[in-house]
Amino acid sequence: MDFIVAGFIKAIELLISGDISTWTAVWATLKVSTCSMLMSIGAGLPCGFVLGFFEFKGKKHLRTLVDTLLALPTVFVGLAVYAVISRQGPLGELGLLFTLTGIAIGQTILAFPIVTAITASTIENIDYDLKLTLVSLGAGKRHIIATCLWEVRYGILAAAVTAYGRVLTEVGISMMVGGNIKYHTRTVTTAIALETNKGLFADGIALGLVLITIAFIVNLSLSFLRKQ
Amino acid sequence: MTPPHPAYQLRHIQHYYGDKKVLDIQDLTIENGSITGLIGPNGSGKSTLLKILAFALRPTRGQIFYNGRPEVPFSQTIRSKVTLLTQKPYLLKRTVFENIVYGLKIRRDDNDLTNRVKKALLNVGLDYNRFAARKWHELSGGEAQRVAMAARLILKPEILLLDEPITSVDTKSAKLIRQASLNARDNWGTTLVIASHDVQWLGSISDRQLAIFNGTIFATGMENIITGPFEKTGKKTIVKALDDGQRIRLKAPAQELGSAIIRKQNITIGLEQHPDKGLDNQLSGHIVSLMLENKSGHIMATVAIHDLTLITRLSPDQISRFNLYPGKSVMLGFHSTDVEWI
Repeated sequence: MDFIVAGFIKAIELLISGDISTWTAVWATLKVSTCSMLMSIGAGLPCGFVLGFFEFKGKKHLRTLVDTLLALPTVFVGLAVYAVISRQGPLGELGLLFTLTGIAIGQTILAFPIVTAITASTIENIDYDLKLTLVSLGAGKRHIIATCLWEVRYGILAAAVTAYGRVLTEVGISMMVGGNIKYHTRTVTTAIALETNKGLFADGIALGLVLITIAFIVNLSLSFLRKQ
Repeated sequence: MTPPHPAYQLRHIQHYYGDKKVLDIQDLTIENGSITGLIGPNGSGKSTLLKILAFALRPTRGQIFYNGRPEVPFSQTIRSKVTLLTQKPYLLKRTVFENIVYGLKIRRDDNDLTNRVKKALLNVGLDYNRFAARKWHELSGGEAQRVAMAARLILKPEILLLDEPITSVDTKSAKLIRQASLNARDNWGTTLVIASHDVQWLGSISDRQLAIFNGTIFATGMENIITGPFEKTGKKTIVKALDDGQRIRLKAPAQELGSAIIRKQNITIGLEQHPDKGLDNQLSGHIVSLMLENKSGHIMATVAIHDLTLITRLSPDQISRFNLYPGKSVMLGFHSTDVEWI
């Protein structure tokens, strides 16, 4: 028990003293998670809208596939991305292996079904009277789509936050694709895994606290936006 | 000179939800500048008809003519002229002001918005200074209904369709909605079609009333609908037994049993049994309400026969001759052959 308490105390010291290895991992995590979240929203939002708003053949099967992908194991995504961007892979020449860009690609694949599924559910739950109201007020297709998206903005924000939480806390992709290179591709989660393996609990707890703080700030921002 | 075209002409309109036919209108004309009331029970097809008239729903079959021209749903030109206020008005998650100007903004009409919103709110009895900045969730049911109405009125529509506009509002709001509807017709020549359960309110606003039951329109207004279960007493006659022992005899339909319509004009009223032995339905009941028909001066008498209510149309002379008033016991009579089946 004592080592946990000592870990907390050292964690605070590490953060306050501006330990460079801790803060480079934090910065790498923020950069790569934000980038993958934005990319997953860019791809997942239109797909989720199409899946939730329109009726088309094969929609149910597509929805089942997207829902299944929610449970995608991070190590499997890591393995698949590794295979594609490694030297022998089809994108090997781009030199993405062991880079933050490589991790971001993997995390985008991980977050894409989350954004798609939550957006689709949010759009499906739009009040039927909203569409009818917009049509009856003279809105064309473009206005209907824009207004519907605006009306469900909190649902879409929730999708973004959920996706952010997932990529922020994953280890498999960062470890396999990033390689956990100190000062370069080491993220908070891979650093926690490494420090714990080395028996350096204080460093691990410090990084854990940072992760929790980031998650807290993201959720706080969401509640602030809702109040606005 | 050719006469002006009616606002709407519906020809052989049918609509199905799955296999179920919910609307079957052979011919319906709605004149420009008129106020048409639609009466009917829940599920009778009122809302479906209004959506079709709003060009927000494509009927399964048939054609709609708008000002003499065949029109199709969702066309841009027609959408800017017709507006529908749904039964549960949806307010956008914005302020009252933004809700009201939404229709204008998508028409790219940004002129003098503040003054126009002021007038629109005033038209439904709401004060601009108190309400314009309020958010959608800061309104009561009646206020939300009136804001939704203002959002339609600001468009000065050619057609205004109102689906149960006073269902969840208080008497004051109902009066304001009535007045705003009349103003729209008087000021801009707007044609209105209003669906409501409130026969009295509808009677006070509409030029004519259409009754709708099982998707069929009755141009003569509210008629008497008798639903099953029926007992077959022979090949030609069926009976509806009431719990108080009275029995209604009806000529059996040629095809399968549906619901029976007894036109109000075929029902006679008296204080005692009718001497005509051929009048094979003589039912005792009591008057529930008497309502003046605005234009004709006739009086609609609603009579309760145990748990069934029947309407008959009476002249003022009959009212005074029989000294009729709510609560008075009366005898209603009609022939079993005066039945239509739908």
